[in-house]
Amino acid sequence: MAVVLLPAVLAAEAGGQKRFELDAGTVGDALRQLPVRNLLFDEAGELRRLINVFVDGIDVRGGRLLEEELRPDSEVRVVGAVAGG
Amino acid sequence: MSVLLPIGTRKGLFLLRGNGSWEVEGPLLPGWAVYHAMVDPRDGTLHAATNNPFYGATVHRSGDGGASWERAEELGLPEGGELKLNATWHIEPGSGSELWLGGDPGVLFRSDDGGVTWELNGALFEHPTRDRWQPGAGGMCTHSIQLSDGAMYVGISAAGAFRSDDEGASWTPINKNVAAEFMPDPHPEVGQCVHKLLVHPQRPDRLWQQNHCGVYRSDDRGDNWERLDGNGLPTSFGFPLALDPQDPDVAYVIPEQSQELHYTAEGRLGVYRTDDGGASWALASEGLPERAWVAVLREGLAFDDDSIYFGTQSGAVWAAPRGGGRWTEIARDLPPILSVEAAQA
Repeated sequence: MAVVLLPAVLAAEAGGQKRFELDAGTVGDALRQLPVRNLLFDEAGELRRLINVFVDGIDVRGGRLLEEELRPDSEVRVVGAVAGG
Repeated sequence: MSVLLPIGTRKGLFLLRGNGSWEVEGPLLPGWAVYHAMVDPRDGTLHAATNNPFYGATVHRSGDGGASWERAEELGLPEGGELKLNATWHIEPGSGSELWLGGDPGVLFRSDDGGVTWELNGALFEHPTRDRWQPGAGGMCTHSIQLSDGAMYVGISAAGAFRSDDEGASWTPINKNVAAEFMPDPHPEVGQCVHKLLVHPQRPDRLWQQNHCGVYRSDDRGDNWERLDGNGLPTSFGFPLALDPQDPDVAYVIPEQSQELHYTAEGRLGVYRTDDGGASWALASEGLPERAWVAVLREGLAFDDDSIYFGTQSGAVWAAPRGGGRWTEIARDLPPILSVEAAQA
C-alpha cells in the first residue's frame, strides 16, 4: 500500500486525517482516491498549478507527474509550492 | 439583543459576539481566505466563500456555529471550457429556500441543497455581452447579489449591473448613465465597474451603487441611474456601501483617494453619510482616526437594524449606532479584513 501525506490545511479538510494508505498504481490513482480530490484537481481534472507532489523525495512535476508509477511502499507527499518570500 | 459579526479575513474567519461587550472567536477555517461569510437567517447555517492560492475556490458551511465545517461537493465551471472558477466572492440567501453564490470570472451559482452542490447560472455565463466584460484589479468578480420584490440583481467588476425578472433565466444590463471613464465610450451598455450594489430592503425600486466611477442611485429598479458624488464626498472612488434599513434616503460610503491610491481619502478614515438620497454627503466619523491611510474593501461594511460596522485591511473592526453616532473600535489586530456581515446571535 502506498502512503500519501497531506499538508495541514488539506488534512483539516480530510477530517483531520494526514496520512492515507492506498492501493494505487500511479500518483493520479492515489490522489483521486482522496476525500480532498476537488481541492487538488480543478474542474478540468488538472492538478492545480501550485500543488507539488513528491514521490519518495523526488518532485514528479519534473517527471511524469500523475502517470508516475507507485511501488507498494511508495511515499507520496503533497506540498504547496513555495512561491514568494 | 446579541449580535454576531462573521468577519472574513485573509487568514480565516473570526466571529465577533456582542452583547454589551465584544468577544472574538477564531480563527476558524485557518488557511482559507474568507472573501465573504454570512449567517443564513432561515436556518442559522454559517456559509463562507473560501479561497486558497493552492487549493482553489470553494464554499464551506457550518451548522453548529463554526465548530465543524463541510465543504461544497460540486462547484466549478463546465469541463472542456476555457474558463475555470478563479474565486468565490459572495453568498446570498434566495427568495425561496435556495442559496446564490457569486464568483470569478463573472459567474453565478445556485444551490438547492443548502450549499452541498452548486449549479452554474447558464444565462449569465453565456450572456451575449460577455465578450465585452473585462476583469478589474480584483478579478472579474460577481460580488453583489440582491433579491427583492421578484427581481434579482448582480453586480460584476468590470461587467456592470444586471437584473433578472425571471429568476435568473435571463439578464438585462442596467447601466444607463453609469460612467465607465476607463473605456473608449464612457457610457457603454456593459463594462462598468460596479464595486458594490445594494437594494433598499424597504423600498425595492431603490438601488444604490458605489462604482469605480462615482456613487449612484436608481429609483426605477436600475433602469436609470443618477450620479451622486461631487456634493460633499472627497472623491468619487471607493468600494463599500451601506444603507439604513429604516430610511431609504440614508447611505454610507468610505471613499478612497483614487483608483491608483487605494487608501482612505484625504489621509483620514472618513465614513460619509447622506440623509437626503445622495443630494449631499457629510462626514460621520466621530471617534475614527483623523490621520489614517487604511482600506475598507467592498464587503467590509455592514449594517443591521441598530448599528453599522466596518472592518479594515489593517485588522480593526469599528461599530457605530444607526443614525450617525460615535464610532467604537470593537476588535483590532485581526488579519486583513475582507468582509463583515451582521446577524442576530
